Amino acid sequence: MDFTELNIVRKKCAQKTIIGSILAAIGGLMFLIPYAGGESAFALQQFLGVFVLAIGIIFIGFGAAKFQQLKNNFKQVHLKKMIQELYREVRYEPKAGIGLDRIYACKFIKRADRSHTEDLIIGEYDDVHFETCDVRLEERHVRHTKNGTQVYYVTYFLGRFFEFDFPKEFKGQIIVTEGGMFTLFSNLKKIEMESVDFNKKFKTYSTDEHNAFYILTPHLMEEIMDLEKRNPGQIGLSFIGNRLSIAINNHKNTFELNMFKEIDGSTLEELKRDLGIIQSIVTELKLNRNIFKYEEVK
Amino acid sequence: MNLVFGLGTTGWILLIVGAVLLLVIMWYIGVMNQLRQLEVKVEEAESGIDVALTKRFDALTKMLETTKGYAKHEAETLEKVIKWRNGIPSDATLAQKQEFASSLAKVANGINVVVEQYPDLKANTMFGNLQNAIMDTEEHLQAARRLYNANVRSINHIIVTFPQSIVANAIKMEKKEFFEAEEAKKQDVKMNF
Repeated sequence: MDFTELNIVRKKCAQKTIIGSILAAIGGLMFLIPYAGGESAFALQQFLGVFVLAIGIIFIGFGAAKFQQLKNNFKQVHLKKMIQELYREVRYEPKAGIGLDRIYACKFIKRADRSHTEDLIIGEYDDVHFETCDVRLEERHVRHTKNGTQVYYVTYFLGRFFEFDFPKEFKGQIIVTEGGMFTLFSNLKKIEMESVDFNKKFKTYSTDEHNAFYILTPHLMEEIMDLEKRNPGQIGLSFIGNRLSIAINNHKNTFELNMFKEIDGSTLEELKRDLGIIQSIVTELKLNRNIFKYEEVK
Repeated sequence: MNLVFGLGTTGWILLIVGAVLLLVIMWYIGVMNQLRQLEVKVEEAESGIDVALTKRFDALTKMLETTKGYAKHEAETLEKVIKWRNGIPSDATLAQKQEFASSLAKVANGINVVVEQYPDLKANTMFGNLQNAIMDTEEHLQAARRLYNANVRSINHIIVTFPQSIVANAIKMEKKEFFEAEEAKKQDVKMNF
């Protein structure tokens, strides 16, 4: 793929942003640092400072808006093509996401005060249906100071959320979470699996002990530990009905270009790696092994 | 005689001895309850094995019936491998259950061999469904076995660890047997359909 044109636009955006930032910094300094030539001269300096600052902000704004266009264009054309090459019957919507109710249904993600989802991919890999999107969840905080009340938001989840069809059907729920994730489940009991390493790394909750052992086979536990090693951040899995939900809180906004980084082969490799997680989950967790779905024989 | 909080030296000694004794009794009751609760969990897990074995037995019986339509002699030979023709008796010991599980695994492996010789049987949809059901019952049996063994490991750990072993001896609780995965069953998991 030739990214020359994209890189030309990207560089222009970066230049605008850099120039804008320098102007904004100079304007800010002119406004704040007093000039020795007297009060009237300082007032003029401050006026000029505001003017330079405004021009700087306009430059940054133009740069950011143009880069946003570039990112949208890249997603619609190049990323979409990559996704279609990797997955069958696939649909990619950069501005859409999985419904929040479905995300909260996994039970180990607490409800957010502010949220944003994007980069929805719906498709099939090896006959396994999947849906995935980027998720940002924020919690509202209030700080009381002598100058009044300040409201701010803290991001507690930024990463990717996946949903897969799971080949085993069972009644009840199983939740596997890494330390630091939300684990206030009223109807689930904590289960100790036989693997000491797995218990050290993950907490397992289930409505029923037998189901936990039925779903979490020794192979699956090994693969979940491998999945965790390959994906830095916190990982949570929930098995409910015939659906497997996986959330990876890696503090990363996936599929986003960097204004100051050349778009080249390494960018594509990184995107392929991010897209390849779906394949590795399906293959490694053996979600494509549909021998467990059969008609009850009377 | 000097009195502290109205108690003399003897009074204090008695109080300390009483407190220590109370702590020991509370600890003893705590360990005893823990052991009893774990024993219940082991029993529950063992009944889980019974359920899984019964399901596997039922699925294999249906499979043998289907196989009879294509390979009567082979199916009847395999049928004889199963020790109990009506499932697990309620008074069966763990060793007998292991033996039963092993015989079921042998039958499953045997059917696997037979099916390769009869393409019509392999093509039978009902038989395909039963094969999947057998695999699923095997997974359930493995799960029940692992859960049972995890509980046995927990209780045995307490029984052999000092000072909890004192309580275990006092209430005559002995180490529990593991439900071993036998070689035949391991092969069964690797059935290649």
